Amino acid sequence: MSQNIKILPGATVCEDCTLEGDITIGGGTVIHPRVTIIADGGPIIIAEYCIIEEYSTIIHKKSDKQENPPKPLFIGAHNVFEVGCRLESSFGHIGESNVFECRSFVGVNVKIGSGCVIGAACNLTVTQTLADNTVIWGSEHHNREALEKQPSQLLQLDFLSKVMPNYHRLRKPNVHKRLPSRQSQEISK
Amino acid sequence: MAYLTQPDYIKYVCSCGQLKPITNLYFCRHCLKIRCGFCICHEVDSHYCANCLENMPSSEARLKKNRCSSCFDCPSCFHTLSTRATIAQPRQDPAAGDAKIENKQPKKMYYLSCFNCRWTSRDVGIPDQPVASGGWPERTNPFAARVNQLLDYYKAIAQQEKQEKLDRERKKFAIRGKYMNLTDKTGLTGAMARNIAGLASSESSSSAIANFVPSQASEEVEELPEDYHTQEVNLKQITSMRQRLRAAEWQPRSAARLQPAARALSVKRSQRCRACDHNLTKPEYNPGSVKFKIELLAYYHVPEVKIISYETVKPGETTALLLKLTNPTAHEMQVRLLQPQDVPEVEEREEPKSIEKSLEKSLNLEKDSSWSKVLQRRAALPTACAVRAPDAALTLAQRDDAAEYDDDPQHDTSDIIMWRKSNKLALRLQVATAAGAAPGGPARAALALQYSYRNTVPPAAAAPAPRDHTLYTTLVIHLGTVAE
Ligand SMILES: [Zn+2]
Ligand SMILES: [Zn+2]
Ligand SMILES: [Zn+2]
Ligand SMILES: [Zn+2]
Repeated sequence: MSQNIKILPGATVCEDCTLEGDITIGGGTVIHPRVTIIADGGPIIIAEYCIIEEYSTIIHKKSDKQENPPKPLFIGAHNVFEVGCRLESSFGHIGESNVFECRSFVGVNVKIGSGCVIGAACNLTVTQTLADNTVIWGSEHHNREALEKQPSQLLQLDFLSKVMPNYHRLRKPNVHKRLPSRQSQEISK
Repeated sequence: MAYLTQPDYIKYVCSCGQLKPITNLYFCRHCLKIRCGFCICHEVDSHYCANCLENMPSSEARLKKNRCSSCFDCPSCFHTLSTRATIAQPRQDPAAGDAKIENKQPKKMYYLSCFNCRWTSRDVGIPDQPVASGGWPERTNPFAARVNQLLDYYKAIAQQEKQEKLDRERKKFAIRGKYMNLTDKTGLTGAMARNIAGLASSESSSSAIANFVPSQASEEVEELPEDYHTQEVNLKQITSMRQRLRAAEWQPRSAARLQPAARALSVKRSQRCRACDHNLTKPEYNPGSVKFKIELLAYYHVPEVKIISYETVKPGETTALLLKLTNPTAHEMQVRLLQPQDVPEVEEREEPKSIEKSLEKSLNLEKDSSWSKVLQRRAALPTACAVRAPDAALTLAQRDDAAEYDDDPQHDTSDIIMWRKSNKLALRLQVATAAGAAPGGPARAALALQYSYRNTVPPAAAAPAPRDHTLYTTLVIHLGTVAE
């Protein structure tokens, strides 16, 4: 598999994690140690200000009807992936400000809007589309609609990006200028 | 831990005949009997809020409808709500925007939020509060007046009925003039006081009954809205049955009408042996403490039996069963395995009654002991499987916390004892199963233990009680299912 990891300036990516395939990590995003991101079925683009915690797994799975060139998996800004969650999406797009709580599982055919919360240990396996601001919780997968998006984790991000370098080896940003295409939102210099 | 997460493989027979695991049983040191939650007296010691740990006298608790005034439960998932702070920004509150910009100082505002389902008080439009606790808008029940009226009415009826009963009773006593003296001195004085009080309040109660207007059923019912059957249902906007019943006063139909519910109080309770009135458990008063002042649990007094392993039970065959016995007391214990039918009947010894005690009993009508006849029954013990109990006294050493670290078990030469280790003993036993045992049915065997018990209760000065006792307990061992 081709290794093509692009880390934008301002991103905090620990060395002790598995990154495979074509992955772009946006500025301000924090990736904890022991994270697995595998871009198997196409590139993965993680936008700005996401938190990806320990033992979470993000896989862009190869699908049967593979497009050529492969469709990228775009993960919007301000998403939080809590400890041990697993996302196996093959849809091209995950919205922003979602929270994937601890040990949650999102299967291949789940489309996720923005501001959704997938509760701790909730399993989404059936083909479905989560409308914006859907909250799923509990062993019975109750769901409700929140009025507004989940508050952003900017304070936490700030703290993590300050503290992480003191305790972990980090991967250095390797892209120093604005990307010519695809996501060209503001990138802190 | 095993007692919390696993099924109860071993159940003890309580003196009332219930089968319970040892962790659910109590041991009365005064009666020297096993008791359980079913056959003891539960008393509420104090009310407190389990979230903020605030203590509340029972009168205040009743006034506040047994709810905490500062803690709330999530109306959506019933988890406790947490208070969250935000820095108020004019953007968040466009109506009061101008005022906020003027005094530029960032102001802390608070809202309630649920960490489980992420419900917030903002979801239903409750404005943020400037103080961290309290000040949340209270919603009044639209039917509060009617509910109060009903309450008054039923109270008045109860009062009236009580009064009538009292009058009847008094007539009865009047006929039996001979006893008047005794009752005058004791029971009736209280009743008479109540009587007088009742008379005084009977005026108001009769007015409550007279002024009461019963509900009227009306012919006309509001029409359903036009689009009732055609409108698409959005389940996310409709409350569930549980959510509605949780807020019994207003029973909101739409999720947008949910309100934080004041948290229900918890109680600390003490438990009392019904036979001797001694406390079995008494918690510490401080709500933050999980310790007990008195804690007479069977787990600390009765030998504990655990299954190590067993062979599958087959009809008409003898299979092996490995058990572990533990002595939880600080004294050496002699244990003997018996068949349940060999346990001697314990005759109810009537304790020598003193005059005061019998008088006290006669006054206290609630301390009627007829309950025991109603409650007590014989446990139905399984008979299909029988544990072959060798007739030998086994000695269990006392509990020694230091010996925990001593980890080489001593192997005994005896054919039933596998090993001993400080206060523990492993036994190899045989289970004989009747040929007629139904395959597929549960395999259960009953076993009785005779054990010596040293009572450490300081004996009463008058009657020095014997310190060493021989006690019996019966237990039922679950051995899976009977094989084909
Ligand atoms: Zn007792
Ligand atoms: Zn009982
Ligand atoms: Zn409270
Ligand atoms: Zn909730």
